[in-house]
Amino acid sequence: MVTNHSPRTDDGAHLRSANLRTALAVGAIAVLFFVGVIAAQFVGDSMVGMSVVSAAVLLFLAFAIGRNLRK
Amino acid sequence: MSSIPHDQAVAGHTDGHAGDHNEGHGYHPTGIMRWITTTNHKDIGTLYLLFSLTMFFIGGCMALTIRAELFQPGLQIVHPEFFNSLTTLHGLIMIFGAIMPAAVGFANWQVPLMIGAPDMAFARMNNWSFWLLPPAAFMLILSFFVPGGAAAGGWTLYPPLSVQAGMGMDLTIFAIHIMGASSIMGSINIITTILNMRAPGMTMMKLPMFVWTWLITAYLLIAVMPVLAGSVTMLLTDRHFGTSFFNAAGGGDPVLFQHVFWFFGHPEVYIMILPSFGIVSQIIPTFARKPLFGYASMVYAVASIAILSFLVWAHHMFTVGMPAAGLLFFMYATMLIAVPTGVKVFNWLATMWKGSMTFETPMLFAIGFLFLFTMGGFTGLVLALTPIDIQLQDTYYVVAHFHYVLVAGSLFAFFGGAYYWLPKWTGTMYNEKLGQWHFWSSMIFFNITFFPMHFLGVAGMPRRIPDYAQQFADWNMVVSIGAFGFGLSQILFVVAVIKCIRGDGAKAPAKPWEGADTLEWTVPSPAPHHTFETPPVIA
Repeated sequence: MVTNHSPRTDDGAHLRSANLRTALAVGAIAVLFFVGVIAAQFVGDSMVGMSVVSAAVLLFLAFAIGRNLRK
Repeated sequence: MSSIPHDQAVAGHTDGHAGDHNEGHGYHPTGIMRWITTTNHKDIGTLYLLFSLTMFFIGGCMALTIRAELFQPGLQIVHPEFFNSLTTLHGLIMIFGAIMPAAVGFANWQVPLMIGAPDMAFARMNNWSFWLLPPAAFMLILSFFVPGGAAAGGWTLYPPLSVQAGMGMDLTIFAIHIMGASSIMGSINIITTILNMRAPGMTMMKLPMFVWTWLITAYLLIAVMPVLAGSVTMLLTDRHFGTSFFNAAGGGDPVLFQHVFWFFGHPEVYIMILPSFGIVSQIIPTFARKPLFGYASMVYAVASIAILSFLVWAHHMFTVGMPAAGLLFFMYATMLIAVPTGVKVFNWLATMWKGSMTFETPMLFAIGFLFLFTMGGFTGLVLALTPIDIQLQDTYYVVAHFHYVLVAGSLFAFFGGAYYWLPKWTGTMYNEKLGQWHFWSSMIFFNITFFPMHFLGVAGMPRRIPDYAQQFADWNMVVSIGAFGFGLSQILFVVAVIKCIRGDGAKAPAKPWEGADTLEWTVPSPAPHHTFETPPVIA
């Protein structure tokens, strides 16, 4: 995920590529969670798999929100 | 710092220059095609808000049919199966069709204006996000007319009922998939816009509170919508492709569905309420004529609420059988959420303290929100206590609790936000007398409807039943009268909105509220089609 400290740039191409990177990163995380929650059912004890997915979701949130709180 | 002082923000060009996205090539569709092809955040915001208002009335009609049936004991208006479908679809439509799209509508209109961006980051995807919703809503309503009727197992779609239900359940699952995809695309757009397209000088800790709450809401959506989509996909494969994720007959675990569902479902409550927190955090400082008290603590409180919301899901299922350690963990974790929520309530009150307050309609709805949401929070604390929750599980006490949180919480804040920003959106001041009538009638009838449900719940009346014992008759009659009063009160809102859209009222200045100081008030009213094409500079 890309965030700019000096947020908006006049360089349209740079902004578009930054937007695209952010969107792809966030979208990939969404796809990962979707696949993860189904795949977790096939990993031995499904409760263990679900716990891993839950922890991943929680870590994502803590990281995504936390990194913006410092700016 | 919660907002940008008016004199420090320099608005960019706000004329009608059509240089934005695909609208800058000489093609200007009109009529219905304008709305179908629009990539403008203001148009799309309007579409979201109108869609949610329509769905609010459809879901509301279902609620009134439910209350008409429950006006007195016995079966008189609808069949029990249809009653179950009504309770299910009322929940799904209000959550996915009314509240969430309304919040996205506010975000579409306000986020770019508040951060000084010309539009959302992905304007075409924004259009697509919206236009996915009407077919999904159509599918939900269509499910009433297919063999077997609409889904009837409650909005939570618990197996085994959802595995055994008819074709209506398939339509519901597809509708949820589509609405989930729409939410995820909308969230990606909002996150990207906020992170990358802020005006120069607008650091994260200078963001208006509404923008902060939406950023965190968007992260929540990215985290939980795929979980919901995954769980209903497994439900679908259980129904049609021979798997047994949740089908006990094939070795599956129905309780697992409850865990997965509520891992989505509880954060979903905060997805619906955090944007409301943001709206109220804009309204109260404006009408108290004071900066928001404790801006940084408000941001940290919202972040804490978002993260804690993932640690409490099993308080919805205390009765399924859990180890004592699990019960204790989820009980205490749930009670812990009261701390950051209390911080927010304290900060709103402190903002009002010794403020030069006036009580226009947006402020009335904000104070109404504060009062009623706090009551809903208190009953939430009661339900967090495992021994009490086991007694009150699936009673009308729970129905009262979540309507205090979601109707008085989300809906009152959205009404407040609509009255607050209608002058900016339409260029016309709303009719204050009509707004005040709308507030007071909603406030009174809301409490007539939902407060007695606490008594019914404590007395043991179960939810989702079309008939009940004679002992519950009196309060049910009161509740039904209140519900019809509340429903009729909302016509006042529609009249107020139509009058604004038609320009029937005083012309709104750029900044109609003396105490408002965020960027949207630096552009004329109504906001021009294109704003901030030259970014404002925030000192």
